[in-house]
Amino acid sequence: MVTLTIDDKQVAVEKDTTIYDAAKKAGIHIPILCHDKKLKPFGACRMCLVEVEQMKGRLIPACTTPVTEGMIVRTSTPPVDKARKLVLELLLVHHPLDCPVCDKGGDCELQNLAYDYKVNSNRLTDEKFHHEIDYNNPLIERDQNRCILCGKCVRICDEIVSRGALTFINRGIKTKIGTEFDGPLSCEFCGSCISVCPVGALLARPFKFKSRFWAMTNKKSVCGYCGTGCSVTLGVKDNKVLTTIYDENQGFHNGQLCVRGRFGYQFISSDKRLKTPLIRKNGTLVETDWDEALATVAEKLKLSASKSAAIATPRMTNEELQLLKQLMLQHVGTKNIDHSAGYAHEAVTEGLAKSIGVAASTATIPDIQKSDMILVLKSDVYETHPVVGFEINMAVKNKNVSLHLISDKRGKLSRLPGANLLLCKPGSEVTLLNSMVNVIMEEKKAALDTIPPDFVTALSAFTPAKVATECGVTADEIRTLALSYAAADKAVILLTTGLAYPGADAQLAHAASNLAILCDKLGKEGSGIIALQEKNNSQGAIDVGFVPAQGGANCHNILDGCVDGSITSLFIAGENPIVSYPAGDRIKKSLEAVDFLVVADLFLTETAQLADVVLPVSSYAEKEGTFTATDRRIQKITPVIPPVGKSLPEFQLYSKLIKLLGGQPALTPADAFSTISAYSSISYSELGEGGVFVKSEFKPTLIVPKTSNVNIEKGKFSLLTGAALYHCGTMSLHGEGTVAVCSVGYVEISRSDAEALKIADGTDVKLTSSSGAITLKARVSPRMAAGVLFTPYHFAANSVNTIWSGSIVTGVTITK
Amino acid sequence: MPNPFTPIMQGMKITFGHMFKKPVTLMYPEERPKVAERYRGLHALKVSHNKAKCVACYLCPTVCPAKCITVEAGEDDNHNKFAAKYEIDMLRCIFCGYCVEACPVDALKMTGQFELANYRREDFVFTKESLLEKK
Repeated sequence: MVTLTIDDKQVAVEKDTTIYDAAKKAGIHIPILCHDKKLKPFGACRMCLVEVEQMKGRLIPACTTPVTEGMIVRTSTPPVDKARKLVLELLLVHHPLDCPVCDKGGDCELQNLAYDYKVNSNRLTDEKFHHEIDYNNPLIERDQNRCILCGKCVRICDEIVSRGALTFINRGIKTKIGTEFDGPLSCEFCGSCISVCPVGALLARPFKFKSRFWAMTNKKSVCGYCGTGCSVTLGVKDNKVLTTIYDENQGFHNGQLCVRGRFGYQFISSDKRLKTPLIRKNGTLVETDWDEALATVAEKLKLSASKSAAIATPRMTNEELQLLKQLMLQHVGTKNIDHSAGYAHEAVTEGLAKSIGVAASTATIPDIQKSDMILVLKSDVYETHPVVGFEINMAVKNKNVSLHLISDKRGKLSRLPGANLLLCKPGSEVTLLNSMVNVIMEEKKAALDTIPPDFVTALSAFTPAKVATECGVTADEIRTLALSYAAADKAVILLTTGLAYPGADAQLAHAASNLAILCDKLGKEGSGIIALQEKNNSQGAIDVGFVPAQGGANCHNILDGCVDGSITSLFIAGENPIVSYPAGDRIKKSLEAVDFLVVADLFLTETAQLADVVLPVSSYAEKEGTFTATDRRIQKITPVIPPVGKSLPEFQLYSKLIKLLGGQPALTPADAFSTISAYSSISYSELGEGGVFVKSEFKPTLIVPKTSNVNIEKGKFSLLTGAALYHCGTMSLHGEGTVAVCSVGYVEISRSDAEALKIADGTDVKLTSSSGAITLKARVSPRMAAGVLFTPYHFAANSVNTIWSGSIVTGVTITK
Repeated sequence: MPNPFTPIMQGMKITFGHMFKKPVTLMYPEERPKVAERYRGLHALKVSHNKAKCVACYLCPTVCPAKCITVEAGEDDNHNKFAAKYEIDMLRCIFCGYCVEACPVDALKMTGQFELANYRREDFVFTKESLLEKK
């Protein structure tokens, strides 16, 4: 610890702290334009100049100067103020002073400082800049005339997002923030640059001119897209969510968001939201009131009793899932409940539950940065959970954590410095992991004392030499990876689950768990397995136990039962199976066949259009409850706006249904929360900002994973399904920002295949599988291996589930 | 005791005096008052180059103590900011003139128009079109 004096205040701080951070700790504010908590010190703006007793004769930048013992710092003296005023005058020489039309007005750090330091005239004059404003993309507007060259956008894009889309170009007075070849901005549109820009040089176009910052109320919530569980601040005006607001002190991710979280909020206040219940009369859906709709639903469910079923989305809160479960199990009298198509939660409910003894991840997202080694199975983390991707990037770049990937395609992670990618053949991940386990056992590197002999025998066949060709990697690569995993002190294994990831099944989870169990990398800081789940409350749905009760039908059987008559009433809460589940035709037939279909959703989705009763429900911004993030962090949300139209938060909806069926529902979300047995150790009231982790007890067991037999006919391409960076499930298709940059489906094809088939980027190609054919835009991508195609699953038009029936890899032919 | 006629005489002096002065009473509406230049009557949005000068900076609704101004900004074809909606609720307006003072681009003024009576409440909400300065 180092002790120093700042403005007559004694401060004791860590050795490597800067004067700026030390002052901040002491509650002394030093004005600054180029600093962000997450970024490395840069010293661009010179606003943070201070006087240091020991360094008399010049002013010292507080943000780049480390503290030394006995330092005496003065942050505001006449020479300091005079210097800062000059800095502001220099900045304002070229700044356009168009505050009335600049969207940053009111939230602008330069404006605030000019006001604080009373810079109302300028001793210096020069011509203003005449840079062309970049309106080339739908999300980020770049006006270089307003730029003060603090470099925060450049640094966040490099240090955290790892995209490097922006950089300083030219020199001296001509310096500006430029893009590659000074062309239009080509990036993933996460908007991090906008969030840190101190002036109006970078602006969010979806929010442009919508409101002034001071006219909005900032309300905290938890992002409703993926399972990462990022905290968000929503800007609300007139009961409408207008934007997301950056807060560097929020959450484990320090306010860092991805494109979906930052730009995909429009679905909340969308005009297309359902505002009244709908009921089918004479073949068409007509508006009705809640009484009629609920009475019909209650009556039909009661009538069907054990022949009813419910499929829920893990976007609902824990309390809502708990009530729906209570409704179906106790009051309707059925055991047929499930979520996420039944298979998307299998890696956790089957895989981890059996291997580790708890149906949850054993490590947390903050563990990633505390680890020594990260092993990512399927490199989709950057696309499915971008904020986790940022964490990995920071771990690799700042903490020297080694990164290893086993994946069927390259991605942003494999481009990180020192990333070791084992580009395997699609569907061979389990075999490869088994082989790693084999190496560890053969080389006697296992930390486990006794390994069951049948386990050793079962995996003895998986020697690297034997599986190398099958996996498409060399035996040496497998051996090296296995040994470095065994040798690492701490290691985290990440795998991605979700509707489009049938490969991330129980077997993959078993295989990954075996590695961790054998090498004793479970349950300690910086070690474990994280199953990154697709939806914001996927883990919650598992914890609540929204899975088939003993003897109940799972999702697959429920949908089959609709056709054969064993299910007569189906309650679909928030899911859109027609688009998001595999084998869309089969799903559609099931939903058309079922006698009575109720859909509770925000929008009139493809599934809702087939329903007999459609119940309008509320988005996450309108309700109270808890979400459990993928690393088992429970976070509380409170209503940000009142329910849109006559829509009801699902909590009230299920309460009413339970009452109609003669039951007694929990009165408040807090009451419902207390009935969730998995969370019995946590009280609702202690859930503050940042949430609470649920502690889990492990009971590791080595289980022999079954390898999948992927047989793709010769001459056919291996089609992989997955998620696009810009979307999460089908809900992001109602967020205008995300749709603006990615509105239609596409298929990624390797350069070599594209060349051989003479397919140019952007042309329409026809994919034909045994179950159908669709036409998609081709995207020639350097990340695909030859013979492998990738397509995201979110889109209703030319939906991939026409040709994909849920197998890990689908054999398709591709024609122009 | 003072002379009881003195106050009466003084009063009559004023009365008779007024008979020879210019009358103060206006025969409104046939006769129109002369409105002072700085009078704060109905607002007008100034026009320049056939467009309202207003850039929809939202300072007038922010400063307005009666919260009677509603502005919604829009983006025109040249990506410039303009007031897509500009409304003043005259039933709430207290004619303090802060909006005019706050305007950074001198787009708003207060005219001498004071006849604001109307038959329906909704007619007191002046839209952008009705507020545009009449030349």
